[in-house]
Amino acid sequence: MSAPTVSGPPPTPAGERRKVTERQRILPSPVTGQELVLIGVIAVLWIVLWLSTPAFLTANSLQPLLGAVAPIAVIGIGMTIVIITGGIDISVSGIIMVCAVVVAKTLVDYETSIWVVLLMSIGIGALLGLINGLLIAYGRVHAIIITFGTTNIFQWLGLQIFGGNTVSGIPDTLATFGNGAAGRTWGVPHAFAITVVLAAIAWWYLRHTAGGRHYFAIGGDPVAARLAGVRVRPRIASAYVLTGLLAGLGACFLVAQSSTLAQNVGTGKELAVIAAVVIGGTSIMGGRGSVLGTLLGALLVQTVSSGVTQLGWPSQLSDLFVGIAIIVAVGADLIRERARRRAR
Amino acid sequence: MSGISKRYGAVRAIRNADLDVEAGTVHALVGENGAGKSTLIKILSGAERADTGSIEFNGAPVSITSAQDAIKLGIATVYQEPQLFSELTVSENIFLGRELRKGGRIDWAAQNAKVVELLELLGLPRRYATAVVGDLSIAEQQQVSIAKALAGDATVLILDEPSAILTDAEIEVLFGVVRRLTSTGVSVIYISHRLDELFQIAETVTVMRDGATLGTWPISELTVRSIVEKMVGGILTENEGARTVDQSLTPRLELSDLGRRGRFHDVNVAVRPGEIVALYGLVGSGVSEIAACIYGIDSYDSGSILLDGAAVSPRSPRHAQKLGIGLLPANRKAQGMFSFQSIAFNISAGHLPLFGGFAGWMERAKERSVARDLIKRLAVKTPSEKQPIGAMSGGNAQKVVLARQLVERPGVLVLAEPTQGVDVGAKEEIHRIITELADEGTAVLVVTSDLPEALRIADRVQVVRGGTTTDEFGPDATQVEVLAAAAGDTSEGAA
Amino acid sequence: MSAPVDDQQTGTPDPAPTPATARGSENSLGGRLIRALLTQRIVLLVVLIVAVVVTFMIMGAGDYLTSPFDSDSMSAALINAVPLAMLGLAELIVILSGRGGIDLSVGANVSLSGMVFGLAYAQWGLPLWLAILLAVVCGGVLGLVNGYLVAYLGFPALIATLATYYAYKSLAVVINNQRPISSPEISQLYNSTARSIELPVIGSQLPDVPRGIFLFLIPTIVVMWLLLARTTFGRRSYAIGTNDVAARWSAIDVKSTRLWAYVISGLICGLVAVVTVGQFASARPDAGTAGNGMALPAITIAVLGGVAITGGIGRVAGVVLATVLIVWLNDGILKAFEGNDGSQYQLLALGVVLVFAALLNGVATRRYGGTQ
Repeated sequence: MSAPTVSGPPPTPAGERRKVTERQRILPSPVTGQELVLIGVIAVLWIVLWLSTPAFLTANSLQPLLGAVAPIAVIGIGMTIVIITGGIDISVSGIIMVCAVVVAKTLVDYETSIWVVLLMSIGIGALLGLINGLLIAYGRVHAIIITFGTTNIFQWLGLQIFGGNTVSGIPDTLATFGNGAAGRTWGVPHAFAITVVLAAIAWWYLRHTAGGRHYFAIGGDPVAARLAGVRVRPRIASAYVLTGLLAGLGACFLVAQSSTLAQNVGTGKELAVIAAVVIGGTSIMGGRGSVLGTLLGALLVQTVSSGVTQLGWPSQLSDLFVGIAIIVAVGADLIRERARRRAR
Repeated sequence: MSGISKRYGAVRAIRNADLDVEAGTVHALVGENGAGKSTLIKILSGAERADTGSIEFNGAPVSITSAQDAIKLGIATVYQEPQLFSELTVSENIFLGRELRKGGRIDWAAQNAKVVELLELLGLPRRYATAVVGDLSIAEQQQVSIAKALAGDATVLILDEPSAILTDAEIEVLFGVVRRLTSTGVSVIYISHRLDELFQIAETVTVMRDGATLGTWPISELTVRSIVEKMVGGILTENEGARTVDQSLTPRLELSDLGRRGRFHDVNVAVRPGEIVALYGLVGSGVSEIAACIYGIDSYDSGSILLDGAAVSPRSPRHAQKLGIGLLPANRKAQGMFSFQSIAFNISAGHLPLFGGFAGWMERAKERSVARDLIKRLAVKTPSEKQPIGAMSGGNAQKVVLARQLVERPGVLVLAEPTQGVDVGAKEEIHRIITELADEGTAVLVVTSDLPEALRIADRVQVVRGGTTTDEFGPDATQVEVLAAAAGDTSEGAA
Repeated sequence: MSAPVDDQQTGTPDPAPTPATARGSENSLGGRLIRALLTQRIVLLVVLIVAVVVTFMIMGAGDYLTSPFDSDSMSAALINAVPLAMLGLAELIVILSGRGGIDLSVGANVSLSGMVFGLAYAQWGLPLWLAILLAVVCGGVLGLVNGYLVAYLGFPALIATLATYYAYKSLAVVINNQRPISSPEISQLYNSTARSIELPVIGSQLPDVPRGIFLFLIPTIVVMWLLLARTTFGRRSYAIGTNDVAARWSAIDVKSTRLWAYVISGLICGLVAVVTVGQFASARPDAGTAGNGMALPAITIAVLGGVAITGGIGRVAGVVLATVLIVWLNDGILKAFEGNDGSQYQLLALGVVLVFAALLNGVATRRYGGTQ
């Protein structure tokens, strides 16, 4: 009772190899598809806005735009790395608040130089980030829960230092990061220039050093990374320290923008930063992402919001477009991933 | 390696195993599933520690207590599942954790040069050095893991079933690589189920059975059949008495030329009411994917599934269930268990509509009594149906997952690897249950890579090889015949 | 986000993990108590509630509080529990459904549904019941969008609900040109939701209880408890949250179950919107998003109530007890400080309790193999 022996072509689990450019490169393309699309979208938006309101492409309009991008993008650098490792940091709003109020109070109460407050802010930010990092890396608790908790604690700390509802009469010691003439060189806001330089350094570090690549490996598979000799825990902690540190710097940028500081200085910033990161193509699942994309994401969000104002629409409408941008950006990424899996 | 033993609790995984590998040769290690090959390899590669025995390397005794030790000695292992980071490039994957550095940064030029060398050795294009691993095919990924193993200047390379997921052309490339390696003095330990390919590549063969090494022979003294005989030993498989099934009945389940692109093709098998048919294939033969199609998890793109002679196409597990098909998934932990939930939860989870009263109200009394009945019937060892399944032994948990399929008596029951990771006692009981179900008229299709099991409980064994059904054996077939057919003994033909 | 990696080995006979067979020393009364505290979130919460109540009552008796902390103030404080517990339950069902489930959009949903309610009731002149129905349906539809993105299109929940958070928040503000809606009818609502009433029959012996508790919170709790603990939908939710692959192999419709989790979360938001409008006596476009918004506290309450962020674990009772704990703790803290200081310490208390509970979970997992 032997069944008929059927012969056929052998199964071919191997998909067709995809065409890759023949030239031998040292590394994969420095710019991802998502980033090119973002550059294109931003360019189109700028042209459309320029056509509808010619005032858009003037220094008066672009300088505040870039100034507003700076704090979000600079914190986004750290957040990108955190998300690459497979984590998340909700507590940046709290860290911003603590750093901003310390800086503002110090400026009001003492005559200090810009370097002192800058170092202080960065130091406090790094310290708070270290608390997050240690709890997450060594406490074996999910990052989102720990940072939800520390958000509350940091906000309490900030409010304690605040005392009153606002800090006013902040001297212009930080003017070099501000929106005024002192905050620009050749028309470029310093805060934005610093952000770009830091993003470039982070981009190089993530791309060209072993330490930088290890963040990606951890996000891909923490256990396999440990077996391959990556020191997983210190590296995870370092991502949160960096985010805290940059939140300290971002707080200085925010304080510099106005002579009064309100308690809501950090409110909603954590979500704005995360939005910039995911629009920039960093995968929330970890293992993949780029600082350049985050910078572009922050730029896109700010372009949309200043565009909405320029067009005379209600300013809150910009959030709707931010939501749509997130869905489109991540949706495109999901489709690409699915196509890639099928091609294999 | 000599006198190696290893126990896991009460289970003796290997005892007194000896393995002598000469430099610059390909040494095949063969044995049935569970014969102890993987454990022996794990000990050699430092993933496990031996209880007794010694390992000598180049004549000097060494102790391997960690994966790092093995790598330092130059022993590199390539496992079946490529353990790679899909978002990183090939070059990065190969050098992760031991990057070549130049002034703080990774020396891409030096690293890539080394990688290109390895890629050329493996017959992969140079440009793959900077390709992202996730973009490569599974076969290419496996070659990358071989490259990764070689990058550490290995002198002993262990390949665990490398050919299981490769096509014939890719296997040829692999063999080329292996030959080139051995010509440079590297020893290769080659584990494979496809015995026919050993004759192309291996020089010596060590056969394992029941945790012990039987001996080592030069390949020239062996044939596929003689290897199979050594693997199986003199054990006679006692089939559970004579079960007669009226072959004139219309098959309850029939797969006719079923195919899914890239996985399997032209699969033909028929199961009559009351019959137990085993679908037996080695790892990578495509046998495991067939079950998922019958149950509506995956779709098929050619052929048809017939129930009682009528063509059906299960769209979803729910639909398959409505058609009267039950399925026990192969991977108990990943596909079967709701680990921190109770036994009753695990049993009723597959048949919630049955327990839903008005507005989906859960009839808990009914759930309890069904769970208790099945616990008793399947002899699940537990104080109550409220225990979480995660705390149970493999055998007991498997019985609970099986119980889920028996809540509504299915007309067709597909069992994928029903006794994998189950202790001997529970295995006996699960076999008894399967036979009982068939006696009551269920058509049972057992999809398994456990040959003694297939021969023991099945009325007919259908062999799957290279993604398709090839030969069929009756209950009186011997292990040697079936294994030879499954492992590709083309010289003698099959029964 | 990658969850802690589990060993998914299957080939070898798995040795039975032995969380239940604890060492001898732990079978003593003290050992069992510690074990219950660590593994049973409900026990921990009850102990904490008792500790909070006793502490503040003693402080009150010793005249350390600015106003008495007694049964009257405790029941008055419960009005704050209404939106908090309801949204905590919304997060419960979403987080329970697994695959990184979370709903960041609840606050924005409350704002938008509240505005729709306000428009319907005050401007379009719909009858109250129809306006409430409309608000709830609106919430459900907004939840449906989340659910479709997550369950059918495969978006990570964190991202999908972050996007809809922005979108709903924006629409809530734009829908009535940034203006809140108030009218005599809406002001009237305050009486029916926030005002305390005396319970019939035995009420004279007991403190007055805010009406919102009976009209909204208790019905929601009961329905959610029945849904999760007593229906097949509840079973499906726990099943997909525990192991979504096994659920698929068990013939459960994973996608539609997950979709419904988000829809239910949205429906609850619609109800909370009505409560919030009543509490503020006007429909405010930033009702659910002002300050820290409502999502963060709701998620915090859910996690504190023992909901595992990885899905499959969590109970209605835990969320309710966690809310009661936080509400009374907040009330006591408010009274322990002069002026506005107390509200700041509430943040500290919430943060510390959350981190502490999360770390405790970690300890329990390592020592006893899990929490319930």
